[in-house]
Amino acid sequence: MMTPLYKYGFFGEEFSLLVAFVLGLGFGFFLERAGFGSARKLAAQFYLYDMSVFKVMFTAIVTGMLGVTYLGWIGWLDLDLVYLVPTFLGPQIVGGLVLGVGFVVGGYCPGTSVAALATGRIDALVYALGIFTGTFAYAEVYPSIKDLVNANPMGQVTLPEVFGLPWGLVVFAVVVIAVVGFWGATKIELWAGSRP
Amino acid sequence: MNLRQFTLNRKLAMLAVALGTLALLAQPHRGPFVKLDARELASVVEEEVDHVTASELATWIVEGRADYRLLDLRTAEGYAAYHIPTAENVPLTGLADYPLLRNEKLVLYSEGGIHSAQAWMLLRAQGYEAVYMVLGGLDAWKDEVLFPSLPADADAAARAQFERATQVAKFFGGEARVAGGAAPPTVGAELPKLAAPPPMPAPATPIAKKKKKEGC
Repeated sequence: MMTPLYKYGFFGEEFSLLVAFVLGLGFGFFLERAGFGSARKLAAQFYLYDMSVFKVMFTAIVTGMLGVTYLGWIGWLDLDLVYLVPTFLGPQIVGGLVLGVGFVVGGYCPGTSVAALATGRIDALVYALGIFTGTFAYAEVYPSIKDLVNANPMGQVTLPEVFGLPWGLVVFAVVVIAVVGFWGATKIELWAGSRP
Repeated sequence: MNLRQFTLNRKLAMLAVALGTLALLAQPHRGPFVKLDARELASVVEEEVDHVTASELATWIVEGRADYRLLDLRTAEGYAAYHIPTAENVPLTGLADYPLLRNEKLVLYSEGGIHSAQAWMLLRAQGYEAVYMVLGGLDAWKDEVLFPSLPADADAAARAQFERATQVAKFFGGEARVAGGAAPPTVGAELPKLAAPPPMPAPATPIAKKKKKEGC
């Protein structure tokens, strides 16, 4: 059997929503288990004395990357069918900065705020209201910033395509970057923790 | 070397490095060359998962689903005269050069079903995995969706379904018929006029596609 299951029509739209619900529960559970239901823990990332966010995210990247690489290699997953979020380089850099500022100010990112809200945190409730307000405001101003939002479209691209490198080499490089990053992150935590 | 001297994190890091190193040899993409698995294709045909019915397609269009592309394989004249709403015209000869992505769900139709079946095989051979035909082609679209008919001896369930089909037919500018009339449904049936044929949708680029919501 080949995956992605939905693209191959093994189940329909309704069932895919159910699958998404189960995956979402798992996602929320592990965010909470990682301590990401707490704004303190998340904000600590930006003050460098707790690099958990960096480590968890990079672990997820490496695990997912190795997973799809090997599944694709043995022929269980058709990587050409996997949906990729299209790249808009400039707008996404700006969007990333906006998200980062919101992250350190509010103490959550959108996903963790929902997990924190589920555990009854009031700051997460305020954050979630902010998300809705922001979404609404964005939709209202969208027509006037449309060209900006859709600037330099690159389509569904991957790093091997952009840099013209073999797939395996990029996988290897990302793993090395992650391991060196983990080592460096631990050093930074020790350094930041020892500051007065 | 004793593995116990390492923490779990270090072991996992070593595993990642080992898998990452092995991945240097990985070829997860198949490249331009494809192998045809005759048995797999035969079983796809046997299990009848290679097609959608005209009614199913009608439901998708009514629902406004955008996760597939509908390709009309007939001539440009036939397309101009009538085509299923949202379809793009791709004459069979132009199929090889038409900008399609292998990660798209493609739904094909022709007049009857032969051309779409042939195109289905061509596309599958080129590595397009998610290709489907409209069962019975445009003829079935006329019979089932535009001009559905109710047999005289229909039971209640069939009647309820027919009620729905009537609404769908109206949506597409057709007309439901209750059997008993001498003429078979499609004979003499006027196809809905395409007052101003909608301009052919530009080939979907990744930009134009519906954005999925994903976040951290």
